[in-house]
Amino acid sequence: MNQRSIVAVAAAAVIVLSGAAGCGRDAGTEKETAKAVSDGKASGDITVWAMGTEGEKLAAFAKAFTAENPDAKVSVTAVPWDAAHQKISGAIAAKQTPDVSMIGTTMQGEFAKTGALDPTPADLFGKDAFFPGAWDTTLVNGTSFGVPWYVETRGIYYRTDLAAKAGFPDGPKTWDDLTAMAKAMQSKAGAKWGLNIQPGKTGSWQSVLPFGWSNGAEIAADGRYTFDTPELTEALKYYQSFFTQKIAPDNLPQGALEPAFVRGEIGAFMSGPWHVGILNEQGGKDFAGKYSVVGMPAGKSSTSFIGGSNIAVFKDAKNRDGAWKFLAWLARPEVQVKWYQAAADLPAVQKAWDDPALSGDKILQVFGTQLKSAKAPPSYPTWEQVSAVFDTEVEKVCVGGEDPAAALRNVQQQASAIGTGA
Amino acid sequence: MTRRDRYAKIVLYAVLVAALIVVVGPFVWMLLSSFKSEGEIRSVPPTWWPSHWTLTNYRDLFSRLDFPQYFANSAIVAIIVTLGNLLFCSLIGYALAKLDFPGRKALFLTVLGMLMVPGMVTFVPQFVLISNMGLANSYAGLVLPFLAGPFGVFLMRQFLLAIPDDLIEAARVDGAGEWRIFWRIVLPLCKPALATLGILTFLASWNNFLWPLVVATTDDKYTLPVALALYSIGQNRIYFGLLLAGAVVVVLPVLIVFLALQRHFLRGIATTGLK
Repeated sequence: MNQRSIVAVAAAAVIVLSGAAGCGRDAGTEKETAKAVSDGKASGDITVWAMGTEGEKLAAFAKAFTAENPDAKVSVTAVPWDAAHQKISGAIAAKQTPDVSMIGTTMQGEFAKTGALDPTPADLFGKDAFFPGAWDTTLVNGTSFGVPWYVETRGIYYRTDLAAKAGFPDGPKTWDDLTAMAKAMQSKAGAKWGLNIQPGKTGSWQSVLPFGWSNGAEIAADGRYTFDTPELTEALKYYQSFFTQKIAPDNLPQGALEPAFVRGEIGAFMSGPWHVGILNEQGGKDFAGKYSVVGMPAGKSSTSFIGGSNIAVFKDAKNRDGAWKFLAWLARPEVQVKWYQAAADLPAVQKAWDDPALSGDKILQVFGTQLKSAKAPPSYPTWEQVSAVFDTEVEKVCVGGEDPAAALRNVQQQASAIGTGA
Repeated sequence: MTRRDRYAKIVLYAVLVAALIVVVGPFVWMLLSSFKSEGEIRSVPPTWWPSHWTLTNYRDLFSRLDFPQYFANSAIVAIIVTLGNLLFCSLIGYALAKLDFPGRKALFLTVLGMLMVPGMVTFVPQFVLISNMGLANSYAGLVLPFLAGPFGVFLMRQFLLAIPDDLIEAARVDGAGEWRIFWRIVLPLCKPALATLGILTFLASWNNFLWPLVVATTDDKYTLPVALALYSIGQNRIYFGLLLAGAVVVVLPVLIVFLALQRHFLRGIATTGLK
């Protein structure tokens, strides 16, 4: 266990203890209802925490909000992504939260469970405006805590030249296609590796679960985790086959993927929208025409992972009304488009995708279509813990050749022991 | 010099050079790579010498971060914490080593016990304490918990034990008060230990990441390591150029401090163990 997770555990312990002593709060035991937000313009100081690029760009971007609401002031504090989890859990433990914070979708369940997040006022936000998978990440026991801000999803990047030689000029559509294309890229198009998918390590669940979902698997049902299903086992077997057949590398060093893809040594890989920028930067101007993206190859369906970030208001917010009005502004379709232009974050609001800035881009449209059906893991408070177990087992399967069924039974056993925490 | 001696020497040097390469190699790569483009840093196999020298990483770093502010925060915190440690640890160490008072042994054992408690365990309670005192997001909150530490007390006590009691007795006979003895006689003798403690504390404070990250709730109170983590590590990718340039900038002052105090440092480590 590294230092950071120890702090997180300690913070969780303090939160639990203060709850036991009667001075804490606990969400999730019963359904919470949100208080209404006052009408009229926002006023007062609104303090916001945001990570990385968002933290860097939001302060200037919010000037448009303060222009509409002259009595309001938005103070943004940038928080490092790497350490956002500790910072927020520490702040919750010590009741030092800002009014608003960006919350990674996978942290949502855990933080909502502490009772520190304010339920979303239904009169301000229509859930149908957002991608359904994104809205689901805000839900804990049926109550929404915060709103989706931006989204991302995963697809298959492939070299169009190699794919044409391999006999799949339009990329793979099904699981069989993907295997056949990747193999042919090695045998006919001279690629060293046909496909790169994550062989374990942190976050590999984001690569494996899309195959599971595309095969009809559900990793949670009736308030419990369900990893040991035939659907997920079959998907993990399929995932493993790329490594046993030596189509995918199982020990690619970090940062080696992009240059190898540019050189044509790797024919395809699975990743999210941020890779467009990296590839264009690494491959130069001409490279943009040499690759394309398709959605998840279909098993029973084509269902990818939806990630990104939510943005939430804390119960201890000094300026609750102002905070929610700021979030409502951020969720306007036209503001979402402008935010995409400022920070390259994909809009979580569906209507924003009709704007030519997004609808004109071929690759973005692939991701946009994928987002409509994309899913997220359940927002159980224990998800970060359980996903770590899952990642470890994925690595045993891909690198160590463990039996997928046994690995998933293992995950299930540990996940049941950990529980959902809800 | 016999033949065998010469061979022994050659072997010794070979081992030392190998060790040096292992230790210094990554630093040299960090320094050189901070002048490379993002693409070259990621290239496989990695290069040593930049094929195109570029200052983009540094330009990026200084234009996107409010550098003077973060640098000042880091310096203020590190300097106050270091001075506090030098003062308080030597005072407590002196009391534990040379003054006779009831409970001295119990107090020393407590200090030893505190050495065994990992900082992570006390982290959150400490933050709750500081914020209940109303010190969250203040310099006081950044500095206060680190003004004295069990390690420093232990180090100073061990060093002070070696100072002859006769010297202190003599001063007392000559009519010097306890304060005067401490300032004029004991402290000057402690220079090597103080230099060691000073460097170690400065390093720890300068590199401290977690505490300033959590205590500073607005970014004008961030220290350098926290600020550098801001933009170099994204949600889904790492900007290596920015990261390396930042690392160079963070390491440089520490390197200067260390080189300046190096002689004292080595003597301090050597003497605390031996006397």
